[in-house]
Amino acid sequence: MGTPGQEQAETGTAADLSDIREPLLSLSERQRERLRLLALCAPFAVLLVVAGVYPLWEAFRMSVSVQPYESVGFTLDAYQELFTDPYYRTVALNTLWFATLTTVASVGIAVPIAHALRKYDLPAEGLWVTLVSFPISLPGIVAAFMIIVLFGNTGVLTNVVATFANVEARNIAIATSVPGLFFAFLYSMVPRSTLILRGTYAEIDEAAEEAAQALGATPWQTFRHVTLPQIRPGVTGAFILTFRTALAIFGTLIVINALLVWTLQISREVAGLAFPLAGAMAVVFFVFSFCFTALGLRYTSAEVGL
Amino acid sequence: MSLSRRFGRQFVVLVLALAVAFLIAPVLLTVIGSFATEWSGVFPSGFVTFQNWREVLGLADTLGSQRSMGWNTLFSVGGFGVAVPSELFFSVGLALGGVLINLVVGVPIAYAVARYEFRGKEWVNAVSVLPLMPGIVLGVAFLRAYPELSGTSFGLIVGYSLLKAPFMVMAVRSEFESMPLRRLEESARSLGASWPRTFLTIIVPNARSGIVAGSIICWTLAAAEFNFSYIVAGRGTQPLALFLQRHISNSTFTKASAAVSMFFCIVVAITLLLQRVGAHGFTTRRT
Repeated sequence: MGTPGQEQAETGTAADLSDIREPLLSLSERQRERLRLLALCAPFAVLLVVAGVYPLWEAFRMSVSVQPYESVGFTLDAYQELFTDPYYRTVALNTLWFATLTTVASVGIAVPIAHALRKYDLPAEGLWVTLVSFPISLPGIVAAFMIIVLFGNTGVLTNVVATFANVEARNIAIATSVPGLFFAFLYSMVPRSTLILRGTYAEIDEAAEEAAQALGATPWQTFRHVTLPQIRPGVTGAFILTFRTALAIFGTLIVINALLVWTLQISREVAGLAFPLAGAMAVVFFVFSFCFTALGLRYTSAEVGL
Repeated sequence: MSLSRRFGRQFVVLVLALAVAFLIAPVLLTVIGSFATEWSGVFPSGFVTFQNWREVLGLADTLGSQRSMGWNTLFSVGGFGVAVPSELFFSVGLALGGVLINLVVGVPIAYAVARYEFRGKEWVNAVSVLPLMPGIVLGVAFLRAYPELSGTSFGLIVGYSLLKAPFMVMAVRSEFESMPLRRLEESARSLGASWPRTFLTIIVPNARSGIVAGSIICWTLAAAEFNFSYIVAGRGTQPLALFLQRHISNSTFTKASAAVSMFFCIVVAITLLLQRVGAHGFTTRRT
């Protein structure tokens, strides 16, 4: 970044050009543009290498290390254990089916929400948007707490149902079970899916829909044959990014640990000082989620308009 | 009369209403519950008490006082110390540090993507916009890569800045894309300004509404970041997200409600600020 930095210091007119400036003047416009690009991308690249690439490399070295507390030697023991032990297979399967289920549900709910917010002239539309977006800024632990408020032993819905059905509240409380976890995931994921889909809905060509309606198509036919083909890339993008979110959820599981998934297991390995395994799990997680996102966004013509 | 014509709209609106109720009702109940002395029935009872809030903010002594927010001396000038709720301010500061780094790394790369055509542009765009690294993976990686640094404020700030950088890039890039960048740059250059000067004194100030919006989003998300903090944070003063977790896991229900409500207040304040800035930004651009 040396040369652009020096260029930055130079703010004078052509009269007081310093020696440092001379070589720059002799550059072609194209070369200068390249220098500018480098200067613009350099800070981000530095952060990415220092805070992302290098730590990840160290995590990889930790995962193939012979010793748990320092990275020495090379062994694939951790990976072998990860891929052969049925325990970790169960954890992986738990992660995948639960993330898939919650993703499908979230996107399924987010489509009507985005549809209503965009297509219907709702009173106080801005307020609805704000309310739906609000939970995006809440961490997973708070989402879990919200579910306990609704479905816990003293939860409001639990007690309402218990009163009507005349059963003990704690027998029907679902907050700390898998269904409770399901709702907690939805609490984090529905607002995010909605955010993505609202971007998609904003780009729809409404003339085609109006034409379909005018030609006598029912609202469902219009949605199925006119709207859906237009929002499909956005829906695919929402699936991919929401699935990523589901995989990465961790705080929620600290409060509601009803299901053993990958992230929770990573934290247990760290707590149990099983560093090579924790490293291997982190590397596998990163590689999977990276490939999934990259391939997904590349080959599905998904358009990401976050 | 088709089914969808008769019920379609009602159904869609019903989904919206149910979703909003699901998302917002527990928030309201939590805030109400934080002022109650007891919450064991359907609804909290024993109103109105501020004891929960006082305990959460560390203004009242409690059993297990490490669960409440400690008041530490933030800085002292000439023997006079200024005491603040340390965890709150610690978190505010950490998140602000992350935002500062995000500004330095995010604004230039957003400009590069918005202004120039170059080879590999899609990749630069994808890497800068997609949150590629989950917080927990980064936490594990940090522990080993920077054993002394992780757990310190600086380690947390660096981690937050990488995790939240995509949101800054997105906000600023969309602002840049709505500006006539080439025209701005060429007029400034033709009047004799050097390129760095053009960038810093013409381009960046014109994108301020996007930059402010990005900063606020990044700040909120960094203050709420739990996964990375949980793995990395050491002993001593802890980030807000861990403070929340301690309350949710260990405190009485009403006290946990107060802690979570305090967090809601922060989020609402930031959101309102964001909307104010957003609205303001739009009006300045039109005039």
